[in-house]
Amino acid sequence: MNKNSTRKGVAALAAVATLLPALPSFAQEGPRLQIGGTTYTKWLYGNQRNQGALYNFTTIPGEGYGDNGIGTELELLLSARISSQVEVRGRIHSRFNQNFWTNFGGFGAQGDNCIGGNCGEFDARSSQYIKLRGMAVTLTPGYLIDSATIGANDFGQFDPFVVGRIRYIDRDNASGILVQSSAFERRLSWDAAAIALPRLWAGPNFKTGEYHARDASYVFQTRYTLNDNFDFGGLFQYADDREISLTDTNLDNGRDLYPRFRNGVGALKAGFHLGSTLDVRGAFYRSYAHAEDTNYFGTSGDKNNSWVPKSFGLNGYSPVPAGRHEDNTWKVDLTLNDPLDIGLSLNVQGFSIGADYVSIMAARRESDVLLTEGTDGTFAFPGPNNRSYGVYGGNPAVIGYGGWTNESQQVATINVDNEFTDFDEPMAQTVIGWKGVTFNPVYSNGALDIAGEYSYITYNTNWQAWGDDNRGIKDTLYPGAELDSGVLHNFRSAYQPFQDKQTHIAVLKARYVVDIGRGVDVFGKVKYIHESDKRLNNKKYLPYQDGDCPADASTNCQNNVRYYDSNGQFSTAELYTNPNRLPDGSGYTFKPFDDISDDDRLLHYSSFNLGAGYQLTDDLYASLSYTKFLADLKDGNTAFQSYGMHQMVSGKHDKNLVALKARYILAGVEFGLEGQYIFGTFEPDYGGGFVPTLADETIAKEKNVPVGSRGFVTRDTYGWNSLENRYFVQTRLKAFMKAQF
Amino acid sequence: MKTSRLACFTLTAALLGAPALAADKVSFKDPTGDDNGPGTYKYPTDPVYKRGSFDLTDFSLAKKGDKLDVSLGFNTTLEDPWKTGSGFSVQMAFIFIDTDGKEGSGSTESLPGLNVKFAPEFAWDKVIVISPQGASRVKAEVGSKAGAVKDNVLVPDRVKGSGRKITATVNAPGLQGEPSQWRYQVLIQSNEGFPAGNDLMTRKVNEYEGQHRFGGGNDGECDPHVVDMLAGAGKGDASEVKAQHEALAFECGEEGVVKKQATLTMVGGEAAPAEKK
Repeated sequence: MNKNSTRKGVAALAAVATLLPALPSFAQEGPRLQIGGTTYTKWLYGNQRNQGALYNFTTIPGEGYGDNGIGTELELLLSARISSQVEVRGRIHSRFNQNFWTNFGGFGAQGDNCIGGNCGEFDARSSQYIKLRGMAVTLTPGYLIDSATIGANDFGQFDPFVVGRIRYIDRDNASGILVQSSAFERRLSWDAAAIALPRLWAGPNFKTGEYHARDASYVFQTRYTLNDNFDFGGLFQYADDREISLTDTNLDNGRDLYPRFRNGVGALKAGFHLGSTLDVRGAFYRSYAHAEDTNYFGTSGDKNNSWVPKSFGLNGYSPVPAGRHEDNTWKVDLTLNDPLDIGLSLNVQGFSIGADYVSIMAARRESDVLLTEGTDGTFAFPGPNNRSYGVYGGNPAVIGYGGWTNESQQVATINVDNEFTDFDEPMAQTVIGWKGVTFNPVYSNGALDIAGEYSYITYNTNWQAWGDDNRGIKDTLYPGAELDSGVLHNFRSAYQPFQDKQTHIAVLKARYVVDIGRGVDVFGKVKYIHESDKRLNNKKYLPYQDGDCPADASTNCQNNVRYYDSNGQFSTAELYTNPNRLPDGSGYTFKPFDDISDDDRLLHYSSFNLGAGYQLTDDLYASLSYTKFLADLKDGNTAFQSYGMHQMVSGKHDKNLVALKARYILAGVEFGLEGQYIFGTFEPDYGGGFVPTLADETIAKEKNVPVGSRGFVTRDTYGWNSLENRYFVQTRLKAFMKAQF
Repeated sequence: MKTSRLACFTLTAALLGAPALAADKVSFKDPTGDDNGPGTYKYPTDPVYKRGSFDLTDFSLAKKGDKLDVSLGFNTTLEDPWKTGSGFSVQMAFIFIDTDGKEGSGSTESLPGLNVKFAPEFAWDKVIVISPQGASRVKAEVGSKAGAVKDNVLVPDRVKGSGRKITATVNAPGLQGEPSQWRYQVLIQSNEGFPAGNDLMTRKVNEYEGQHRFGGGNDGECDPHVVDMLAGAGKGDASEVKAQHEALAFECGEEGVVKKQATLTMVGGEAAPAEKK
């Protein structure tokens, strides 16, 4: 309640919706404009001293990052009922991306980095401008259809697997036409929409090409309630991104179009409700996606904005794979509601999300499509400290040692959006490729609530050489997006070149209200994750022939390549190159990849939480909690080296989090505070098979390690894995004030 | 020895009698499938409003000293999609209580946003507001929007949703009588974070359902903004569906002007006056 913009977004949209109906007297008086709004002031404080923006995390180049600063934003909600059949609503909103109090209303030098509000008055990110965010007219003609909404919407009335809340900072930035109707006393209902395809991200390479005027997603949904026991429905979505055809040279008869990206998703859903104790719900989805990858639109994105890559290389970035893909997804939920009448209920969910399931309009965050808690945000992407993360050198994506506070939300797309979040907000992670089962017993008796979870997850993305032996290891249709390493993974890396992974998640949490005074909330949680990934599991994929690197390092490695395809063309040696031999001949800079176990991953992750909360006064609630995180990770050791991108990986992580939360409400004004003190250690353990070296001045400066500290360079040479124990202390605080008017 | 026997007898008697002394409790049931107000209401179209979210199945209230323990059952597993921290997000309930059974004693007007009234013989004396939002927010809203009756509005110290139950503990010192002697009406609505106008955190019912609006009513304020309620004898009998529809029947004039407002009765506890049960 006191902490996230997710809820803020929901509330804002709900506010627009609820402002719509006018009082009868208004109707009699004619059109009348109602104006409401909120103002939101946020204060971030952290000892990382980042002041890029008033958000704790973003990966968008040029948008910055920050854990310090104060800023204010304004949101105005407008609504008017023009007649009984026509309503108008709008929302205009300022943003405080770079709008610190200290930038004096956006004044300042014309900065070339636009960090910390140093953008100048005319840069939209710091000028405190106010912008139209959502504008819509809703018609209820009284015949043919129930209603038609023309304009902005969050389109959350569909399905997060197909068309979910389409968020990019705000929830109703998407625009389109929505028509809703019903029949048979509304037992049958249907919704149809045409949604303008967001050119910002809804296509290969996070764009919809150059010509975008007719790019749209078309959706149709219908539901039928047969009786109290049975209901069913269907949903179909088709997204169409077209460009001007390069082969149409006759302009006299107009210009032809050629498809750049197409995506169709069909869904069938049904629910059985047998009395009050048993609920069974099932959904089946099938997707088709085709991203034009024949070089029709050129061979380089630098020369042609419509270009679609034929391959994403080792680590490409795109919300959809290249080429043509079809796959299925299904989910079945069963709920047994207190069958023994003792307060014990059981939820069970079986699910399988296809490796090639593509839904460009699926929810990117704000939804949680699986029952499992999934992983936590505390060590995510790729954590804990990304300042040295090579890809974003100069524009580091920082969330800090503490990561995101909460457990993650699962979304059925690799188009995950965690941009512009603070540490106290939920983090979304992709579940593309996940399959498994979750058991979730819930016991409630008086002041006591206990809930548990056991999930077994394996993966449709368990494959070798991206699932295709006939392509080079750096020639893949799948975007890796930072690939998968670190304690609890990157949130958007569904695809790896090699994977043989399974995950067990066990959770037990409890809450009890001690009957003292106003009642003391005592809560706690224990969570355990065991995850193993053999990654490369067949010797034929090893990069080099047996004995290629002499065990005594007496000579350099021979680089005799091993090929995994029958034609002898493709080898993992183009990815897993051999190490250099140290000048003194004492060993190798990192361990040669000469055994299929060298890249194995094994994680034991535990967290223990205990806390208490109390309503101190009628208006003030506060809680204090302590959480200990223990992660023992072996992550490919030096053979895998996390592809050289991640700073703290293999070894023992011991993290402690002390959190103080408070919430204070006066009529119309809400104050929230969350302060965290995080401390702990990391003991690296990259195994053996190599000889550590010492950081020189260049490495020390670039990687923030002491001169002379032990470590080793990573395979691609721009990373450095320190072997020194790490001790970290991080404080961070977020406070806000939100006033409605 | 004799003393010991006497002590054992006394202890046994005390333990056996304890529940009866500790808690005077009433329980009612409500039929499923009647979460349609006067028979025409439809849920909002956003997926957070799950089937059965506003379908009341049972209600119980127990008095323990100065505290009232309330339990509400719903025909769905509760969820907290808006992260209120209460274990539920979309539900909201108003429990009107007529403690004295005296005609003309109490209020016949309901709370703002519900658009119903009570028959004079069922004028309410206290109302418990169950909301997933914090007690502070609810109290603030009550103070600003229902100030005239705020002393009779009870806001629970604790509210939680778990499984299919919402439970709440209300501190109500000085409340006269026992639950079995009182009469009740439970009105089910939806929690609205940004209520319109003077509404007490209730969601609108319009002619056509929208993403966050109920449908099947009227765009004016002549329709009851109640999705489910207790009716008849409160036993969950199928006939209570019809009773509910009749109780919530309304008529609107042009532009949503009230012609006939829904007028509600209550369901009595075991010891309530027979004619008013």
